[in-house]
Amino acid sequence: MSVILETQSLRREFGALVAVDDVSVKIEEGSLHSIIGPNGAGKTTFFNLVSGTLKPTAGRVFYKGEDITDLPVHRTIHEGIGRSFQITNIFPNLTVFENIRLASQALGSDSYRLFRSHLKFTEHLERTNEVLEEVGLTSRAPTLARTLPHGDQRKLELGMILAPDPDVLMLDEPTAGMAAEQVPELMALVQSIQEAGNKTVVLVEHNMNVVMSVSDRITVMHQGALLAEGTPAEISADETVQTAYLGALYNEEPGRDGGKT
Amino acid sequence: MTAPTMTDRTGLTGWLQRRRGVLITAALLVAFPFIISIVVDGQGLAAVWSNEQGNARFLQGLAIEVFILALYALSYDLILGVTGLLSFGHAMFFAVGAYVVLIAALLQAFLFAIVLPRVKGITFALVTLGFASVFWIVIQSSDLQEWAGAEIGLQGVEAPVWFLDTTNHRFAFYLVSLAILLGVFVLYQRIIDAPAGKVFASIRENEDRSLMLGYNTFWFKLMVLVVASITAALAGAMHTMHQPIVTPNVASLAFTVTALLIILIGGVGTLTGALVGAAVYRLLQFYLDRWYGAASELLIGLAYVLLVLYLPYGIVGTWRARSLRIKEGRDRLLQMVTGASKETSSPEE
Ligand SMILES: Nc1ncnc2c1ncn2[C@@H]1O[C@H](COP(=O)(O)OP(=O)(O)OP(=O)(O)O)[C@@H](O)[C@H]1O
Ligand SMILES: [Mg+2]
Repeated sequence: MSVILETQSLRREFGALVAVDDVSVKIEEGSLHSIIGPNGAGKTTFFNLVSGTLKPTAGRVFYKGEDITDLPVHRTIHEGIGRSFQITNIFPNLTVFENIRLASQALGSDSYRLFRSHLKFTEHLERTNEVLEEVGLTSRAPTLARTLPHGDQRKLELGMILAPDPDVLMLDEPTAGMAAEQVPELMALVQSIQEAGNKTVVLVEHNMNVVMSVSDRITVMHQGALLAEGTPAEISADETVQTAYLGALYNEEPGRDGGKT
Repeated sequence: MTAPTMTDRTGLTGWLQRRRGVLITAALLVAFPFIISIVVDGQGLAAVWSNEQGNARFLQGLAIEVFILALYALSYDLILGVTGLLSFGHAMFFAVGAYVVLIAALLQAFLFAIVLPRVKGITFALVTLGFASVFWIVIQSSDLQEWAGAEIGLQGVEAPVWFLDTTNHRFAFYLVSLAILLGVFVLYQRIIDAPAGKVFASIRENEDRSLMLGYNTFWFKLMVLVVASITAALAGAMHTMHQPIVTPNVASLAFTVTALLIILIGGVGTLTGALVGAAVYRLLQFYLDRWYGAASELLIGLAYVLLVLYLPYGIVGTWRARSLRIKEGRDRLLQMVTGASKETSSPEE
């Protein structure tokens, strides 16, 4: 197995706060790699740095051996890295169909066409229908995205990064705020996508049961820094992790995400 | 819209069907001077072409003003309504056209377009306001008096060809401006239905997400600004042909607000609203002034307040929302009756 995504001493400061503190991670191609840590550990900031939404204070990001640290944010997906958001980030007044269709259309040069109806570009329409089917939103296609229930908005969020068929999917709490009974369904979908397409998934998730059961590897962050890394078994056996994070999370935050039992 | 609807007709019949709104409007407006000439003026059909004095000629003049305003407001709707960019500098593009410096208009469009697509939200609004102020000062300056006429503006600009001569060939100019307006309107409708137009809408909805999807929004905003500023300049040039006296007022902030007002009346982002809004705006202004004189300003203000209160999405926007609701209700009823689940069509235009 080769490393597909790597960060070297990645660092980001907000004033005096070090949100990401010299984080070096290697992500194996085709693996499901989870990043966990308590609130404010720097997971989302780490995602922002890798996807180009934020520029690091120091450190580099490599993708397939290439330095992508300075890539503008709109290029990331063209390289093959798709990223979803913890806080649903969609086009609220467009239909569900159009949200996905825009994501399907983005990679080629078709989007610069000014005078031909978008309905003539059938491959985008077909791709949209495929993705809608995959995330189970086919019947909601004509609905305005903002009128969807929260759980369906999370599915839409996922659909929007599936549409361009990236090699790496970076999912920031894809089940955040979802009803407990919907969580296994969505995670099963993520797993099947990863296995079927031999894709790499980087997952941020608070639900420990989910993380332990789906991950190949787990990275633990704490106050911006790397705390531990290993297989699910190693992480649950790790004492520092237990005291610093897992115990605290289990004891202090019962029912976060509504997904814990 | 779920499945690619390939049932829509191609060829001439399909085109006629899809464009029937525009075609009917065009036919009615071409017939309009003749109808007025016969019914109101008691003159013949030929009077229209031979440019006789009368209501027909006068109303054509008023209609041309509406067409020019509509063209101008249409271009503003592409920027604000479709793409969601709040610009305070739009009058400047019109003014550049009005001062018949089309080459400069193109240069300016590109120049500003290089700066403007780089800024977002309120910064965009402020930068456009800054540019507009500078432009306003420049055209009024006495150093440029020879070309721009300072406070007085331009006077006695001559029509380069007969069909742009509003004094001696009004019907021809009427047809030309109508054709330009409807042509640009159809073009704009195509644009917002094309892949690029869909990206414009995504910028309005959520530019950050649009970037994350892989769109270099800079180029799309550039496209919008170039298309809209050229359109506004075209409207400005037509204005100069129609009113051979050009005052610096066409470059003022108030004239940008006019565009905003027109699309608010008509319905932001609907395109059709720009045309309807321009007609309502200019006709209200003209007739209230004629009938009530000094009191008209107050009445106009009142009319706008009523419009905003009762038609929050503008005339066209509210109309569409209503007919959508009626359609949804009908579909639901049908579903209940037949038990079949027939999908409602997409509310997105
Ligand atoms: N744009 C910003 N400006 C200033 N501080 C920020 C910014 N973004 C994040 N932070 C701070 O950086 C720290 C890390 O935040 P981050 O969102 O990355 O944590 P997280 O691990 O994703 O937490 P959660 O589990 O709550 O999503 C927090 O203290 C946060 O307040
Ligand atoms: Mg987070």
